[in-house]
Amino acid sequence: MESITLALAKGRTAKSTIALLEKMNIEFEDFHEDSRKLIFYNNDKSIKLLFVKAVDVPTYVEKGAADIGIVGKDNILEAQADVYEMLDLQIGKCQFVVAGKQNTELGTNQTLTIASKYPNITKKHFQKKRQTVDTVKLNGSVELAPLIGLADFIVDIVETGTTLKENGLVILEEVEAISTRLIVNKASFATKSASIQLFIEKLKEALE
Amino acid sequence: MKSYVYPASVRNSMEDFLVREELVTKLKNRFTTYGYNQVRTPAFEDYDMYSLVSGTVKTDDMIKVIDSTGQVLVLRPDVTTPIARMAALEENTVSGNLRYFYVLDVFRQANDESRQKEHTQAGVECLGENPPEVDAEVIMLAIHTLKDLKFPNFKIEIGHAGYFKELMEQAAFSKQETEQLQTLIQSKNLAEIEPFLNRFSLNEEIKRAIMAIPLLHGDPNQIMKQAKKYVINEDMQATLENLSEVIKLLDMYGARESVSLNLGLINHMNYYTGVIFQGFIDKVGKPILMGGRYDHLGEQFGKTLPAIGFAFHFDLLLQAYEQNKLDATNMEEDVFQLYYDDNHQENALSAACILRNKGYRILTFPLSKWKNDHQPTSKIIMMTIEKKQAQTKAGEFEFKNIDELISFLSSGKAGV
Repeated sequence: MESITLALAKGRTAKSTIALLEKMNIEFEDFHEDSRKLIFYNNDKSIKLLFVKAVDVPTYVEKGAADIGIVGKDNILEAQADVYEMLDLQIGKCQFVVAGKQNTELGTNQTLTIASKYPNITKKHFQKKRQTVDTVKLNGSVELAPLIGLADFIVDIVETGTTLKENGLVILEEVEAISTRLIVNKASFATKSASIQLFIEKLKEALE
Repeated sequence: MKSYVYPASVRNSMEDFLVREELVTKLKNRFTTYGYNQVRTPAFEDYDMYSLVSGTVKTDDMIKVIDSTGQVLVLRPDVTTPIARMAALEENTVSGNLRYFYVLDVFRQANDESRQKEHTQAGVECLGENPPEVDAEVIMLAIHTLKDLKFPNFKIEIGHAGYFKELMEQAAFSKQETEQLQTLIQSKNLAEIEPFLNRFSLNEEIKRAIMAIPLLHGDPNQIMKQAKKYVINEDMQATLENLSEVIKLLDMYGARESVSLNLGLINHMNYYTGVIFQGFIDKVGKPILMGGRYDHLGEQFGKTLPAIGFAFHFDLLLQAYEQNKLDATNMEEDVFQLYYDDNHQENALSAACILRNKGYRILTFPLSKWKNDHQPTSKIIMMTIEKKQAQTKAGEFEFKNIDELISFLSSGKAGV
C-alpha cells in the first residue's frame, strides 16, 4: 500500500494526537517531546510524520505536501483552505469568542476595531452581523490590545478563560466551537484512496 | 539607477518553452484523433456578453478595459462562452455534434498569493446532442490524454449536478443556506452537516440522503448501489440511470481503473446540468482538469444547444509533466552536434543541409570548438581526417559517406 504523509500541528494538541495514533498501532519510536527533529517515520515506514506550526498545517495539506493533516478548526477556518475536513477528533476543545473590557457592549453602529490572530474569521463573523470592522492582526498576547487602546475588542480562542479573567476582560459573544480535525488533500483522496480510507477507519475506531 | 526586479510570474527559459510546445503538440494530436477542430476566440470580448450570460467566472474576477468609445471590454475570462456563441451562429448543427478544441490564455484577477492573472487552458467542447455516449466519449478523451502523458497515477472523479439539485429542491433551503450546505458537502464535513440539518424540520428521508452525499465517493459500481438507496423521486432515479449509463460505457472503453464516482462533486451548480468531472494526478494538490455538461448555455444565445466540455489547467499540467519526465528518463538532447576539420568543411555543411531536409536538428562547429566534457546524453557527429563517426546513446557508428550516415540514423539502430 502507498505510504502517506501526515502533517501534525506542534503545540497544544500534539501529545494527545500522538497518543491517539499509538492506539491505532502507529508508533513513532524516535519521537519524544524535546526532539528537534521535524520528520518521523513509523515502524513499517507506511506513514511519514511532519511536525509543522499549526497555522501551516492547512497550507501543507491544501498544496499536497502532506496527504493528511491534524489541526485545530481555528487554523482551518482562518486559512480558508480547500480541503476535505473528514473527522472531528474531539480533542483540544475550545471556543472562539469576542471579548472586551468589563461594562462594554458590542451593539454600536460605528466601525469597531478588533484585534485578533484570526483576521479572516473576525471579518467573516462581523460581516454576518452586518457590522463594519477594522481588524488589527496580532501574533500573540492579544488580550493586551483593548487594555491599552489598540483595539475596542478582541476575537480569540478561549479554553478555560483564565487569561481573559486575569487581564480583566470578559466574554461578550461566542462565535464558534473549536476542536481538532482531520483534513485530507482532495487529490490524495482521489489517487491514494485505499490507504487514506483505511487510515480514517482506524482513526474512527480509536476514537470510540 | 534602480535595478529591475523580475516579477514572480516571469518564467520563460528556452527549455521551458520546448517542453511546453511538446506538451501542446501531444494534447493537440490526441484531441484531433477524436474529431475535434482547433479554434481561436478573440482576446478582447464584450463585457455585456459575460455579464448577461451566467457562466463559471464571477464578473468581479474579470479584467476590464475601456476602449476609446467608452465601451467596456473584458480580456477573455473563459473560452467556453465564446465557443457556445460561435456554435449558436453555426447554420447546420442538425447533422450531429460540433467538436471544437482550443489552447488559449484566459485572464482573471489574481486573488491568491502568486498574483498570476494569465493562465493557459487547453480544452474541448462538444456541442449538439446529449446522449450518454457523448458524455463517456468526452471523459474518455480526458483519460486518453492523461495516458498519453504517461502519468503513473491519475483519477477522474465523476459526479452529477442533478442529484444534489433535486435534493435541494425537495428541502427548499434559502440561497444562503444552500451555499452553506454546499461548502460543508464539498469539504466532506460530516461533523457539522448533521447539526446544520437539525436546525430545520426536514423529512427524515431527505435528511438521510443529504448526509450520505459526502460518503458517496469511491468505486463506481459500489457507490452506485449505495446511492440507489437514497433515491426519493423519479428525477433522482433518472440522474443515477444517466450516470450508470456513462460508467458502463467507460467500462467498455476499458477505463474502469481510471474513474471513481463522487456525488459530493457539486461546484458551479447553476451552470452544470448533468455529468460533472474533475481529474487529479499524483503529487499535485489541485484538480488539473475540470469539466461537465452545460445544456443551457446555448439558450442564452437563442439556440437549444446541449453541450459538454472540459479544460486542462495547462500550467499545472505542464509542471507535473516536466516533473514526471525528469523522473522517468534522463532526457536525451535531440540536437546533433556536427564537428568538422578544415578539410571537411564543405562536406559537413552540405551534409548538415541534407540532414536538416530529413528533419534532423543539426548544429555545426569547427573542430577548434571541440570540448571534452560532453554529457553521455549528447549526440555527436564527427567529420574529420581521423574519423567519420556518429555517437548516440546506442553507441558509435563509423560511416564513409553521408548516405551511410542517413541509413544508420533512420534504421532505428541509432535510437533516435
